[in-house]
Amino acid sequence: MGSLFSSSISLRKSVRIADDEFIQLRDFIYEKSGIFVDVKRKYLFESRFSKRLNELGLSNFADYLKYLKFDMKKAEELTTLFEMVTTNETSFCRDMKQLKAFQGNVLKEKIDEQRKTGKLELNIWSAGCSSGEEPYTLSILLHESLKMELPRWKITITAVDLSKAMIKRAQTGVYGDYAFKTTPDDIKAKYFKKDPEGWKINPEVQSLVKFQQMNLNDPLALKRVARSHIVFCRNVIIYFDESMKKKVVGSFYDNLLPGGYLMLGHSETLHKISQTFKPVYHPGTIAYKKEG
Amino acid sequence: MGIKRLDELTAGTVLASDLKASDGRLLFKADTELEERHIELLKRVGVAEADVKADAGDLSDETVRDIEDYVRDFFLYVDPEFEPSLQMFRIALDLTGSAVASGWVLPDISDRRASDVEHMEDLFLRGMGSPDTIVKHETELASFPDIYFRIKEVLEDESASAERIAKVVSTDMSLAAKLIKLVNSPLYGFPQSIDSISRAVALVGAKELSTLALGISAINYFKDIPPELVDMKSFWRHSITCGIFAKILAGTQIGLSPERFFIAGLLHDVGRLILFKKLPYASTEAMLFARENSIPLVEAERSIMDFCHTDVSQPLLQSWKFPEGLSDMINYHHSPMEFPNPLEPAIIHVADNLTNAVEIAQGGMYVLPGIDVQAWEILGIKADPLLRDAVDQYHEQIDIIMNAFF
Ligand SMILES: C[S@@+](CC[C@H](N)C(=O)[O-])C[C@H]1O[C@@H](n2cnc3c(N)ncnc32)[C@H](O)[C@@H]1O
Ligand SMILES: [Fe+2]
Ligand SMILES: [Fe+2]
Repeated sequence: MGSLFSSSISLRKSVRIADDEFIQLRDFIYEKSGIFVDVKRKYLFESRFSKRLNELGLSNFADYLKYLKFDMKKAEELTTLFEMVTTNETSFCRDMKQLKAFQGNVLKEKIDEQRKTGKLELNIWSAGCSSGEEPYTLSILLHESLKMELPRWKITITAVDLSKAMIKRAQTGVYGDYAFKTTPDDIKAKYFKKDPEGWKINPEVQSLVKFQQMNLNDPLALKRVARSHIVFCRNVIIYFDESMKKKVVGSFYDNLLPGGYLMLGHSETLHKISQTFKPVYHPGTIAYKKEG
Repeated sequence: MGIKRLDELTAGTVLASDLKASDGRLLFKADTELEERHIELLKRVGVAEADVKADAGDLSDETVRDIEDYVRDFFLYVDPEFEPSLQMFRIALDLTGSAVASGWVLPDISDRRASDVEHMEDLFLRGMGSPDTIVKHETELASFPDIYFRIKEVLEDESASAERIAKVVSTDMSLAAKLIKLVNSPLYGFPQSIDSISRAVALVGAKELSTLALGISAINYFKDIPPELVDMKSFWRHSITCGIFAKILAGTQIGLSPERFFIAGLLHDVGRLILFKKLPYASTEAMLFARENSIPLVEAERSIMDFCHTDVSQPLLQSWKFPEGLSDMINYHHSPMEFPNPLEPAIIHVADNLTNAVEIAQGGMYVLPGIDVQAWEILGIKADPLLRDAVDQYHEQIDIIMNAFF
């Protein structure tokens, strides 16, 4: 059988990125978002950005870099750039073991504390919330834990992400099957309704979550987030280099109320990043406590 | 591809099975490439349809473009202008083209994330288990097969006679059976069939056969890994494929014993099995992270666990007292140039990349780990037509060799 593909077909389909252009692009990405791109991913970026260059009618990366830095539309382009460099993988009830451990220990402790002091109030921050599955999952956990008592509580889940497109998707609250790949059926049945577009989240669950586009690399923006009892930042700092990790974790520390907790993704750790938190071990997760 | 009506047949179409007339008379044998005059004949005798092989020529332009984009995505970790990467790309395109023509559907991105990682539990938390402690936990728990050490003993004993070697190997029936199957496979291509171990020792050579036996008994150690942790069949298929390629590549060099390379290829990712046993959740996360971010598995392991499977194979093979040269090939297959004598690991390195390239058309999920330019140059070979020939040989061998093992 002969080949359908021309025997001279080339592997590079895209505009070539010169080594120094790649360094400039990656430094720009890092400076803006804290996301660190290894030099080994040069061709991947070349290929991803080539499509964008085509759309803009630019023929080389030098022009694209100028566009990013000096064009009148540079702010808009930055938004597009963020979409291109982030990975938004997520799902409802991702890492159920961790969530169970969180609900049975960390959340329980906070709820009990608040009940004792009579301040029925809880602030949770989901940093790097992607399309919203994580903050909505947290809202579901709160509904499961507080049940009938919930209306008496003042709960705010502040959910932020770098990507505008993700925040928009999150706000619609409608999801396809893919979002439920880690979700127990009973949770799905209880909190979602079939909708022509997919599955729509229960409005009460939705009402606890406030979405907002935010860059974790913007210290001033982070300072404006209300002080939290709990911060969730899962599968986000894995994309940062050490100095950015330290910076962001430092901001979480400052934001947390005394006695508050930071929760990280399954494969993330503060080992080598921060000594200020106290790791508290539960089967299924480590919770990082700000002692106070 | 399936059944085609007579009016759909064109010159060049190849029959998938014997074509018979309505009265059962054989018209053309399977694999016949039909010519115009054959088709005329079929019309005359009134044959209505034929079972034909897939023909990539049937694909629409759009599908061809989809295939190109799909395959290209696996090559984003290699220099697109580097000749061997280019050759591997073209090979992968052709293989994927014919797979699609035969009915394979290109996987969708949503196939990337398996949903069943949630029940897994790691024995070590991140930052708390180093490669050494992980391996120690393994080797203290389970003992290595006795036969392995007996083979090692004869392998190291220069004065061991062929009979003694044959005798040791024959004590393990299942091992002996595998060896017999293997030496009768196209991996060796002996014209006559070999029915005894002593005959195999005579033909293959004492050292080579014991190396083979050693590798197989090492593999046996992992036979009990539960299938929900890792798809062992595709793991070993990857390993055997790498072994086949490594052996072929070694054959292009002067003075290398090809058996050793088959075994090194067979065990090159053995560290991954330990990771699966000890850190199942993190291992699965690494696989998903690799897919989601289009990075090689070995890089994803480093992001997720701070170390990779070759960091684990190193203490593992050491504790097994695995022959050094073989261990080096395995431990350095992702970084051959870091080894003082890089030729041997470089062969596994290239073979592993080629393996990943042929796996694309089989639903492989991982981008090529990256071909080190210097490592390739040490081999001093030309990619074209060598790589294609190697892939042809692989196609002839893989199923039979898989059969010998499972
Ligand atoms: C893999 S998702 C994780 C989603 C969710 N937390 C989870 O664990 O399922 C990572 C998210 O981090 C966001 N992100 C990356 N860098 C960021 C930054 N500098 N500021 C805010 N969000 C960022 C990305 O946009 C992406 O949606
Ligand atoms: Fe490997
Ligand atoms: Fe491999």
